[in-house]
Amino acid sequence: MHIDPPTFERTIAIIGGIVVGVVSAKALKDDWTTPGIENHVFKIMLGLLCLGAVIAIFAGAGVLGNFPKAA
Amino acid sequence: MAVATLPHGAADHGGADQLYIETRSLRLQGFLLFLISDCVLFSSFIFAYLYMRNSGQGWPPPGIQHLDVAFASLNSVVLFGSGATMHYALENWKHNHFNRYAFFMLLTIVLGAGFLSGQAYEYHHLIFDEKVTWAGSGIFGASFFTLTGMHGFHVSVGVLYLIILFLQSVHGVYTKDKFFGLTAGTLYWHFVDVIWVVLFSIFYLI
Repeated sequence: MHIDPPTFERTIAIIGGIVVGVVSAKALKDDWTTPGIENHVFKIMLGLLCLGAVIAIFAGAGVLGNFPKAA
Repeated sequence: MAVATLPHGAADHGGADQLYIETRSLRLQGFLLFLISDCVLFSSFIFAYLYMRNSGQGWPPPGIQHLDVAFASLNSVVLFGSGATMHYALENWKHNHFNRYAFFMLLTIVLGAGFLSGQAYEYHHLIFDEKVTWAGSGIFGASFFTLTGMHGFHVSVGVLYLIILFLQSVHGVYTKDKFFGLTAGTLYWHFVDVIWVVLFSIFYLI
């Protein structure tokens, strides 16, 4: 079975995005009650990391950034 | 303003511990202010880019193709993954699991270097195959290479910073209770991750 490079890249991006999203969401859940300024900043960063993973999944799936080829 | 002072004759280990406790919150505030100032720097460039983009007729400008979303998605996942591994490196340090800390820290460094390699590959493709350059492709080339280059510089500095932190931790600079450097490194690494979420969205997806 032949897979062209963009399909391979998109597949890895989707799988990687799911892994990163789940791992960062779990880290966010585990850290949710920790006190301190740095931990609050970490929570914001982990939340944005989850968002980034979701965006990467959508981009990999072609839902976002799916532009028509120029003529 | 709070000022931490070390008592006379307290240059022993206990004095250093006391100084660490007294100055930790100040150092944290200082580092957060540094990150906020960096955020302002990126924000000004991002808003300048968005303003110029919306001032023109269509985007990307005529003669320039849309950027390669598939490869950029893969490269983004590599960087986001490094953010997750860095978080677990710090967590394992806090829980005194040095081997796991070392594994996640080295993985973070490798993923960071992998992202930089991906960015170098993309630059090479754009410059030599697509003929998109910083000075010769108008607003698009200038804003793309300035913003992604600035981010790449931050990632490069971050990789060096993490290597130094790792070597310091191997040589016993940090302990289970004194590890502000690792906290700062994690904050910095998360920051470059989050900036890339924005850059990836505005350059590749909209």
